[in-house]
Amino acid sequence: MRAFAIILMYCFSLFGFTQNNQAFEQANALYNDGKYAEAVDKYESILESDVHSAELYFNLGNTNYKLNNIAPSIYYYEKALQLEPNDKEIQNNLAFAQNMTIDAIEKVPDVGFSRIVKNSVNTFSTDTWAKITVGAVLLFVLIFLAYHFSYTSSKKRIAFVTSIISLFIACFSMAMAFQKDNLDKKDNPAIIFAQESRVKSEANKTSEEVFRLHEGTKVQVIETYNDWKKIKLSDNSTGWIPSKDIKLLKDF
Amino acid sequence: MNNKNYISILFLILATSVASAQVKFEAKVSKKKLGINERLRIDFKMNKDGDNFVPPSFADFDVVGGPNTSVSNYSRNGKRSYSKTYSYFLSPKKRGKFTIKQATIEIDGETYKTFPIAINVTAAVNKPNGNAAASDLASENIHLVAEVSKANPFLNEAITVIYKLYVSPEIGVSSNWREKEIPRFNDFWSQNIEIKSLNIQTGTYKGAEYRYVVLRKTVLYPQKTGSLKIEPLVMDITAEIPSNRRDIFGRQLMTKVPKVVTAGSRTINVKPLPEEGKPADFKGAVGDFSFKVTTSKTQLNATESLQAKIEVAGKGNLKLFQLPKLTVPSSLEVYEPEHKENVRTNLGGMQGNISDTYTIVPQYRGKYPVPSISFSYFDTATESYKRITSDEIVINVLEGPTAATKTNENSATGVKQAVNANTNTFAFIKTASNWSSIKTEPFFKSKGFWSLVLLPFLAIPLAIVVRRKKDERDADVQGNRTRKADRLAKKYLSVAKKALGKKEAFYLALEKALHNYLKAKLTIETSDFNKEKIENLLAERNVENAVVLDFISILENCELARYTPITQVTMQNDYDKAAKTISLIDKQLR
Repeated sequence: MRAFAIILMYCFSLFGFTQNNQAFEQANALYNDGKYAEAVDKYESILESDVHSAELYFNLGNTNYKLNNIAPSIYYYEKALQLEPNDKEIQNNLAFAQNMTIDAIEKVPDVGFSRIVKNSVNTFSTDTWAKITVGAVLLFVLIFLAYHFSYTSSKKRIAFVTSIISLFIACFSMAMAFQKDNLDKKDNPAIIFAQESRVKSEANKTSEEVFRLHEGTKVQVIETYNDWKKIKLSDNSTGWIPSKDIKLLKDF
Repeated sequence: MNNKNYISILFLILATSVASAQVKFEAKVSKKKLGINERLRIDFKMNKDGDNFVPPSFADFDVVGGPNTSVSNYSRNGKRSYSKTYSYFLSPKKRGKFTIKQATIEIDGETYKTFPIAINVTAAVNKPNGNAAASDLASENIHLVAEVSKANPFLNEAITVIYKLYVSPEIGVSSNWREKEIPRFNDFWSQNIEIKSLNIQTGTYKGAEYRYVVLRKTVLYPQKTGSLKIEPLVMDITAEIPSNRRDIFGRQLMTKVPKVVTAGSRTINVKPLPEEGKPADFKGAVGDFSFKVTTSKTQLNATESLQAKIEVAGKGNLKLFQLPKLTVPSSLEVYEPEHKENVRTNLGGMQGNISDTYTIVPQYRGKYPVPSISFSYFDTATESYKRITSDEIVINVLEGPTAATKTNENSATGVKQAVNANTNTFAFIKTASNWSSIKTEPFFKSKGFWSLVLLPFLAIPLAIVVRRKKDERDADVQGNRTRKADRLAKKYLSVAKKALGKKEAFYLALEKALHNYLKAKLTIETSDFNKEKIENLLAERNVENAVVLDFISILENCELARYTPITQVTMQNDYDKAAKTISLIDKQLR
């Protein structure tokens, strides 16, 4: 009975996917004909069915770029990069879209050890690190048992060394998974959607203006208070911005 | 000769006296209104000599001087004129209104009378008599007036101040006047409008006819709210006042009186601009403006330049506010703007246009939107804020390096052009997609993850324990055998055990089980199944005699049981015995 249900569900989802494929093709055709506004509507209808893909976000970014919508195009490219961080085409077109932004914010580079740590943590996603951990643990257990049950000393030696190595790998990747998870939790990027937004020193309208940001700039959200969000720029300056002016890249 | 002359003159006099028989007898006072500490002169003037002059009784006055008699007698163009004057100087005794009554005289036998004159004596004045007459006259007849176009303007709304010098037609002003104190307009932005020539115009001042000149015109823009004071203009003027004396030609002599005139200081009440509805981008522009943003081109190649111009034109405080700033994408290089002003100032205020011209040089290919710029101003006509927003302009940079790579462009190579794949183009959409659900459960920290990580560790002691148990068992030979026999018995006797209690079925099953056992162990057919053969076969396989006997006895029991009553206990005994025997045989069997 349960198996049947699963098969049924799979069939439904398969049906859903084919429907999305159809919509995707239609939207692509609209894009190619230069009917960008219709293409955007079509692409977004796919998103409403709770499926997504890097390609979909990329195409949405392209269409919005053609419509000169700065913020949405950057938003969707960033979304696409979240799913496919190493895609060259996405990076290329994102650079095009970022040309349209107004704010020039200097990036404070990470230096030395913290950069190395960050880079190594970011090589895999949290789940990949977790899977590596599981694999390494299984390997360790198997090889350890092999070590335990094997009789010749040469076999024992090899098994012992490999098991220790795999245990080390397991511990390491587990630590990395935690680290990455932490980084991901801290990393809460958002894109400015308002054409011009005044960033205040406090979370109210009357406080002093710290700086102004324009459409399309990427910021980090650190804190939320009522209708205000505390943001941090890549040059480490912070301030409070009305929530409605920005759109979070990670929607929960 | 002399006599002849005298006679002719006498004749002439007689002739004229006959011709001008009209007699005048008048009374004139120097002023009709005077302070109690001043003096008054009264003249009784006649044009023909008379007798019996009787002055009026100056009851309310003291006669300070007089009567002085003066006679003038002259002839002009053959016309003889004669006048005789009796003058009295009077000092009033008290304040009030008095009437100087009639004076009488007899001329040619007739009596003439003057009109009575009313005199008003007021309180004491500061400058009694002296030269007072002339300077008083000057101050009464010269007025410097500051005309302000609007007394309560808004902040930054243009107002004008015009200084006019009014001079009554009775007196003159010599041309050597100068401005002693030039008004300073603190808290105002001011511009003086030059007046090239002074034109004398006629106008009225306080209902009286006056001549006036416009001395100074100034346009003011208040820079502060509240009541602001305009400091007065002070001028040194020489007034020319006609005196009683005449020159030799009969023209009145002018007395020159130096005079300081000031236009009183004016207070202007400047209203603040309303806070309600004040736009965020309001930078203080007040007036009536138009606003536009233009670029010299919208399509160009990288490193070429284009001009973007922000222009405000119209009427208002053009020089007194800042133009909105141009914001462009950061990847465009923008130079400091060039500010241009083309503003004329006249009585209506400033007029013209101001503009900022930015030079923009795009560095990379792509589209660059110049966001719309808004400009707000306060319209004094409608007393409301207005906002003009420019359209968004998109600058399309057709050729050039892309920002993505920022690599050094390939240097010029010889005649042959290398075919470089242009990787820096805007990528086309992707045509195929792999769908995944938006809602994904993270694997990390899930129950599955933890169990997959920890359970393998549990497997280690488990495996070790299992292995150890196995080793122990392997080491115990006797136990192994027993366990094997038990297993056999269980295998063959399971049907019998189920039938335990039911006599017929039990023994049938038991017999069958024993037969099956032998069949399996000794490989004998059911057809040659008899006790002797079983005995022989078992003996051949080194089974002990006692055990063989036991086996046989059980078989016999099975047959016997079909015909005899058997109790439950016996059945159990037989079962146990069968199990035991089978295991024994199995052990001993070689």
